[in-house]
Order: sequence, then structure tokens, then C-alpha cells
Amino acid sequence: MTDIRAVRTDLSRIRRRGPLARFGEAVLRNLANLKVLLRYPSAIVGLTLMTVFILVAIFAPLIAPYGPFEVTYTAERAVIRLSAPSMNNLFGTTNQGMDVFSQLVWGSRVALMVGLLSALGSVLLGTLIGLFSGYFGGWIDEVLMRATDVAFGIPFLPFAMVVISIAQPSLGLVILLVIFFLWRTTARVIRSQVLSLKTRPFVWAAKAAGAGHMKILFLHIAPNVLPLSFLYVAIGVQTGVMLEAALSFLGFGDPHVQSWGIMLNAAFQAGAMRTAWWWVLPPGLALSAFVLSVFMITRAYEELLNPRLRSI
Amino acid sequence: MVSVLEVVDLHIRYGTGAGEARAVDGVSFSIEAGEYLGLVGESGCGKSTIAKAVLGILPPNGRVAAGEIRFQGRDIVRLPPAEFRQMRWRDIALVPQSAMNGFDPVYTVEQQIEEAIVAHVSWPAAERRKRIEELFAMVGLERQRLSDYPHQFSGGMRQRAMIAMAMVLDPTLVVADEPTTGLDVIVQDQILQRIKAIQEQLQKTMLLITHDMAVVAENCDKIAVMYAGRVVEYGGKEVFRTPHHPYTLGLCNAFPDLDDRERELISIPGAPPSLVDPPRGCRFAPRCPFATPHCSDVDPPLVEVAPGHSAACHYLDRAAEFRRMSEDPEIWRRAGEAA
Amino acid sequence: MQGFRRYVIRRLMLLVFVIWCILTIMFGLFQLLPGDPTSIFIDSNFSPDMIERQKELWGLNDPIWLQYLRYIRNMALFDFGQSFFQIAPVSEIMADKVKNTALMIVPALVISIVLGTVIGAIAGWRRGSKFEQSTVATSLFLHSAPSFFVGILVLMVFSYQLRWLPPGGMVSLGGPDGFWEMIVARDYWVHLILPGLVLVSREITGPILLLRSSMLEVKGSDFLDILRAKGLPERQIVTHATRNALLPLVTYIAVMTGLLFQGQVLLEIIFAWPGIGRELVQALNDLDYPVAQAALYVMALVTLALNFIADLLYGVIDPRVTYE
Ligand SMILES: Nc1ncnc2c1ncn2[C@@H]1O[C@H](COP(=O)(O)OP(=O)(O)O)[C@@H](O)[C@H]1O
Ligand code: SF4
Ligand SMILES: [Mg+2]
Repeated sequence: MTDIRAVRTDLSRIRRRGPLARFGEAVLRNLANLKVLLRYPSAIVGLTLMTVFILVAIFAPLIAPYGPFEVTYTAERAVIRLSAPSMNNLFGTTNQGMDVFSQLVWGSRVALMVGLLSALGSVLLGTLIGLFSGYFGGWIDEVLMRATDVAFGIPFLPFAMVVISIAQPSLGLVILLVIFFLWRTTARVIRSQVLSLKTRPFVWAAKAAGAGHMKILFLHIAPNVLPLSFLYVAIGVQTGVMLEAALSFLGFGDPHVQSWGIMLNAAFQAGAMRTAWWWVLPPGLALSAFVLSVFMITRAYEELLNPRLRSI
Repeated sequence: MVSVLEVVDLHIRYGTGAGEARAVDGVSFSIEAGEYLGLVGESGCGKSTIAKAVLGILPPNGRVAAGEIRFQGRDIVRLPPAEFRQMRWRDIALVPQSAMNGFDPVYTVEQQIEEAIVAHVSWPAAERRKRIEELFAMVGLERQRLSDYPHQFSGGMRQRAMIAMAMVLDPTLVVADEPTTGLDVIVQDQILQRIKAIQEQLQKTMLLITHDMAVVAENCDKIAVMYAGRVVEYGGKEVFRTPHHPYTLGLCNAFPDLDDRERELISIPGAPPSLVDPPRGCRFAPRCPFATPHCSDVDPPLVEVAPGHSAACHYLDRAAEFRRMSEDPEIWRRAGEAA
Repeated sequence: MQGFRRYVIRRLMLLVFVIWCILTIMFGLFQLLPGDPTSIFIDSNFSPDMIERQKELWGLNDPIWLQYLRYIRNMALFDFGQSFFQIAPVSEIMADKVKNTALMIVPALVISIVLGTVIGAIAGWRRGSKFEQSTVATSLFLHSAPSFFVGILVLMVFSYQLRWLPPGGMVSLGGPDGFWEMIVARDYWVHLILPGLVLVSREITGPILLLRSSMLEVKGSDFLDILRAKGLPERQIVTHATRNALLPLVTYIAVMTGLLFQGQVLLEIIFAWPGIGRELVQALNDLDYPVAQAALYVMALVTLALNFIADLLYGVIDPRVTYE
């Protein structure tokens, strides 16, 4: 999804001979394979939409006429409250006179950050746990899998709300909580994959050749679960953004940032559903479009991994 | 008297990604009442396709392109679906290739036999039960096992239950498609003997499909040898006593002979051709040790070599010579290398 | 049967273990509460003496391990104490809110599962048809749409613009009360339409997509040929296939109910449905911790219980499952 070439040059600088570099190469190979995605129409639509979001996020300061919390005034220095879309305020204003369009643009940054960080964090955690659990088995597996059982027993949204109300609401905490919610599925899926990989001849061969556990795990097994991990990154982006929006909408978001969920919360609290559709629709539609674009990419990638799905 | 089953110039095609596969390409044969016909040929020759067509269960991409399947004189290919549905199992039953997966795993065996009865006749429950128990006894299964689920049966038991299910409505014709595939050798023998016994006792008309020439030789009184969608040799017991077609010779060599257990088994090198784009001329030519340039050019017709015995080869007059030569494994090996 | 009993016992032990872990996590969390409960609602002009007496009363001066044991015992006995603000034992409040939430979830889930199964089975059976393609496309779309925005949208359109349906609540003011009166009252059903539809529109996609794909898998089975050869009517064959395709649904229902409270909290807020999710949000806003922790605990329990039931059910509907 991101620029493959950029990642490649970046990694080539740190390339060394050694397990880490070779693992990095496996990551790159998988990223390069993503080009195949362009054969899927749904992926093209999804990637195009995603590119738009990324560009908007990068160039937010140029695109947004106002700051995320900036109040807009008329020439007479009167606050423009609840104005319908106009030339000055493309998508109208909020009850506090803030520009909806600008908030929307700034919100894309939060969405991307939350999505990416929570997805990468949860997949990293989940993949590691799955790898260790599946590979070592025994008590390590027992402990890690009982931990996943516990994680699966906790209803996420209620739990996150409690934690946030105990601590202070902040974007970092939200991301941490989302990671806490997302790792469990990845861990289970990766574990079962590792269980079947473990019995493959190439693992015996590596063992016979005297490779240590870590080497087998990260050089021989991990590269084979990467495609699955990638899938969960995509799913994680989608779920992460959705969960942040949900938490924010419920009033547990970081009040210092302007996310789409927080916009919806403010609009909902102010009763904008009755009075100011222009305040409600943009963040809701942006959120839907974002989630949908990731979903389309995910779907195509899933089909790529599992050809049986392909025959819709 | 009219034949129980008469297949006339049957053509069946499957739509595939690579084009139409002509799985059955002009096949004719007939089975009279009480006869036991063996349809033999390697895997992929179109045998199961014929069985499916006879039962009207071709998959959606398969269709009868031409020809007739007459059951007691009526062409069932063009029968209204509802009418054909009534005939199935009551008139024509199937012992399938896949006894392993032939039963629905989430219903008991009894339920599945019972539903076959209920679909066709209105017997009271007690009579149904009695009939099922009777059949279980006939195939040698304990009646306590009736309420078992299929996975609780061994492979051989499942196949016996299948035979019981096939007999439940006392059908006129029983089609057995490779009924012993996937079973171990001893069980295979038991199953075949049981089918044979039922056939003899009940005077059943049977169509047995197999790739094993020895099974046909032992059980059947009529044989049709199929290769690449066509019947290449057809007749009574003389088909394997005095085989005329080189493919039949090859098949006879590939399976143990009851009279001559010392004989070396030789399998025919190579595999049947693609039916999407079958070779021109004789379809067996690429693998035939006696093929000539003429063979790969002109399609040999099925001609009578003796009353009730026909074969499709250009050199039927040299059949005796071929029979002798084919006993030499070397000649097959060389044909394999040439191909 | 012996094996099954052992399996149930093992599974129960795991359930108890998970509940215990969750309780411990919750205890830790609520220990971290800013200040202690006394500071939240005891009048600031209470004398230190009175505060001390209150603390003694609540056992807040006991050693932490004693507090922990008491906490576990109380939770296990559903003794959640008094609400800080409402004049009722928390357990009573919980019972009422769970009932209200069930009044929304249960009808929606039943419809989703039944209807979703039928639609998904038909879609899978008629592979490649227009029906299948449009069903799959719609389901994928609904599956990924954020349901709370869908909720806001339908509220805007049907309640505020068209004024066809009430904008929220479970019954009108002064409407029916009590469980049985409610479910026979038209008023309740009218209020249920919007949140129910939104919930169904999301939850139904799972069974549809799942049934469709497992039906495709079942369609390749040999036993279907035999059923056809037996001359069974088409309808009966579809029933066989569906019965087989249903097996993975049981596992999925556990997943579905596990994630249910996610969307449920949002819908209860949007539609002002007085259920347990809304209660939790309110309790957190009011710093009413006994209610908040009870609500979290109850939601976890329901999630776990449904998972447990689904696990056992799987063995019942699939005769091939053994517990050796
Ligand atoms: N459903 C199908 N779709 C396409 N081709 C098929 C199908 N079933 C069978 N075939 C093809 O038809 C030919 C005959 O198959 P079959 O009747 O099963 O042979 P046999 O039973 O003799 O092994 C084979 O080449 C096979 O690949
Ligand atoms: S016609 Fe020719 S190729 Fe065909 S079987 Fe006879 S000899 Fe062999
Ligand atoms: Mg076959």
C-alpha cells in the first residue's frame, strides 16, 4: 500500500549479511509480490481511494484552510456558527464555528496514524506470540494460548472505555488498547500456521543442519507466515480506524486531536442530526470510504492468498 | 424381449475452461435382463460419466449431446425430470465409487436408507424398518449398527451399507461404479463376491464399472472395454478369452490371471489422451505397440469379429499374432519409449 | 459420553480460569482509579472522622489481599454493592439493563441467523447466479460499513426527516413496562425497528457469507450425487446440503456474539436504548464505579457463556466430533 520502492531503498541501506537482513529481504519480497494485487479491480479502487487519503493527510496543511480547532469569523469578527456549506466554509461550520472541511482534512492524519500504528503493533505482537507459541509448544504455548483465551473473553469496547476513563484519554492509549484487542486473532491464526509448517521437511533439514531455534523460527518459518501477517496488517488498519472512531464517538477519544469519530461525537452531542447534516455526513462518509477502501484491498489480498475464494 | 438397458451412440460432453471434453463419444451397448455387464477401462475413459448419465446425475457442466439411453425401451435422456426422478433408485440404483463419502455424514445410515424408501413408496414405518433390517442381514451387517453414523463404519461396512441401500427398493438395474476402490484387497473380494451372490440369487441386471480386467473376467458375462470415450471391444466372455483389440490385450496383461499366477504383470505405459482434443485416427495409437502410420490417420470402426463380439482395430486379422507378441513385456516397454 | 463429560469439565475449568483472570485484571484496574470512591461523592465538608468511618465501612482500610478476596467473592455471587447515584442494588440495575439489551439483541440475532442462513445457503447453492453475486456484493459492503454511522444515517432519514419512526428509546414515555407487557406491545416493536434493522444489516452478513462459502464446499461432496440418484426432491437435497453447511456456523455464532457488545454499545447510545452498554457509558461519565465494573463484568460473562455454549453445541450438531 505504501511506496514499495521507498521501503526498499530504506532497507538496502541497513542490509548486512545476517539473519536480520535475510528476514528483511523476505519482507521485501512479500511487499514486491503485492504488485499482483493490481490485477484485481477491487484492489485498484481501494488503492486509489487510499492514495487519495494518504495525499490528503500529507498535504493537510496546504489543503485545509483552517486549523483543526480554529474558529472561523465573518468579516465583522462574528463567529460563523452552524453555517451551511458556503464558498468560505466548503462543508459548513460546527456549532462552535469551526470549519468542517478543515477538520475532515486533519482527521485523515489521525485515521492513517491510528490505522497504521495499531495494525503494525498488533500484527508484530500477534505474529511473535503465534510464532513462539506454535514453534515451542509445551508450557510456552500453554501460557500464551491461555492469555489469548483471556483476551478473547474481554469485550473490547467496554473494557477500553473503562481503561480510558481511569487513565487520561489520549491517542496513544487508544492505539495501545486497539493493539491489545487486535493481537489475539493474529496470534491464533499464525500459531496454527506455524504448527503445520513445523512438520515440513525444510524445517527438519534446517534442524539436521544444526540451525538453532531462533534461526529456524525467523529464517525458515517466519518468512512463510508473512503473507498471512500482511493480511492481518490490512485487517488491522481497518479495525483500528473503526475502533478509534467508535471510542471517540462514545466520548472516549483524545480531546486534543480532531478525528472523524470526535467530529461525529461533537455533532451527535450538539444534536446536529436534526439541524446540521453537513456536520454529520462528511466525517461519517470519510470514515466509511476509508474503511471500505482498506476492505477492498484486504479482500483482493485474501483472494490472492486463498484462490478458492476467488470464484465469487 | 426388450433390453433392460440399451445405450445407443451416446455422446456426453463436459464444458471445461480448456474447451469441451468429449468424455463419451459414440458409445453403444446393451444389457439384457439378468445379465452382468462389465464396463472396463483405465481411469479417465468416461466410465463414471456413463454411470452418471444412466442415473441422470451428470454435473451441471455435463450434458448428453447426442444418442439415447433406453431403459426398458424408454429413452430416459429426454424424460421429464419429475418422471425420471421417480424412476431413480426404484428402477435404477447405484453403488458408488465413493462409499467413503457416499453417505451424508450428519445423518444416520438408517435415516439415509429410509429416505430412499420414503421418496418412492408409502410403506408404513414398521415395514420400512423390517426391509432395512432384512437388507442389513443380507449384506452381513448387524442391525444394531443401523442407528450409527457413517463415520462409525469401516470402509468395507460402508460399502456393504451402500449395497443394502441400493437393493432396498428391489431395482431392476444396479449400476456399481468401482465399488471396491479404496478398500483393502480382502475386503474388495468380499464386496465383489457379495455383489455377485446378490446378482445370481436375485437375478439382478447389473452394470459393473471397473478398471480391473481380472474383476470383470471373474464376475461378468458380458464386457465392454472403453478407451478414451469409446468402446473398443465388446462381447461375451470371449473378449478376454480371445481378445482382439491391443488395448484389451494390454489390460489383460496388467492384471493377475487366475489360471496363470506366475505371469508377469505389465502395465500399459503412458496415459489416456485428453478428451478435449483427442488424437486423430485410432485414439490408442500413441500407446499401441502395433500402431502404423495408417492408424494415426484413420479411425478404425467397431466391426464384428465373431457373432456378438466386436472390436475397433485396423488389424483384427492379425489378432492372433498380436496376442502372442503382447505376452512379451519388451514390446510394451518399447512402445512406451516411442511415445 | 465419558469423553464428552471430561471435555465439558475441562472446558468449564478453562471458563472459570478465564473469568478469574478477567476479574483480577478488573480489580487491578479499579485499584488504579483516580482517588478512592470516598473522594468522589462524599461531601467535602464531611469531617475526616466521618470519611474514616465510611472507609472502614467499605473495608477500604483492609489489607489489599483481603479486599481482593472479598472482591472475587462478591463478583462470583453477583453482589455488586450499591450504586453511588441510583438508589438500588447494582445487581438489580444489571438485571434490568441486561433484559433491555436482550430485548434488542435477541430478536435481531435470531433474524440475522435464520434469514442469513437461508439467504447464504441459497446463494451458495445457486452458484454464479445473479442472486448469488448481488447477495455477496451487498453483504461484503454492509459487513465493512461502520454500523454506527449507518445508525446515524437511518436516524436522520427515518426519524428526523421523514418522521416515520421514533428517534430513540425502547418505549414511549409512559409506555408499557415489564418484560411481558413490553414484548406484546406494538410500541416496543416500533421502537425496535430502526436499531434492530441496523443491527441485522450488520450481523446478517456473517451467516450469509459463511453459509455461502461452506455451501460451495459441500456442493462438491459425493454424497449429494447419491441423494440425487436416490430420486429425492430437490428441496430435500438442499436440506441435506444446508445441514452440512451449517456446521461452521455454530463456531461463527460464538465469534459473532463475542463481538456483539462492540456494536451494541454504539447502537444503544445512538438510539437511546436503555441497555447495559448505555448504562456503562453513563456510569463512566458519572464515575459510578460499582455500576461500571458490574456492567463490564456482565458483558464479559455473557461473551464467555455464549462461547462456551457454542463449543458444546458443535459437538452436538456434528456427529463426527469425538472427545477422546
Ligand atoms: N465434471 C467434469 N467436468 C469436466 N470434465 C470432467 C468432469 N467429470 C469428468 N470429466 C472428464 O471426463 C473424462 C471421463 O471421466 P470419468 O467418466 O470420471 O472417467 P472414469 O470413470 O472412466 O475414470 C475425464 O477425462 C475427466 O477428466
Ligand atoms: S488401430 Fe492401430 S493403433 Fe489402434 S489399436 Fe489397432 S493397431 Fe493399435
Ligand atoms: Mg470413475
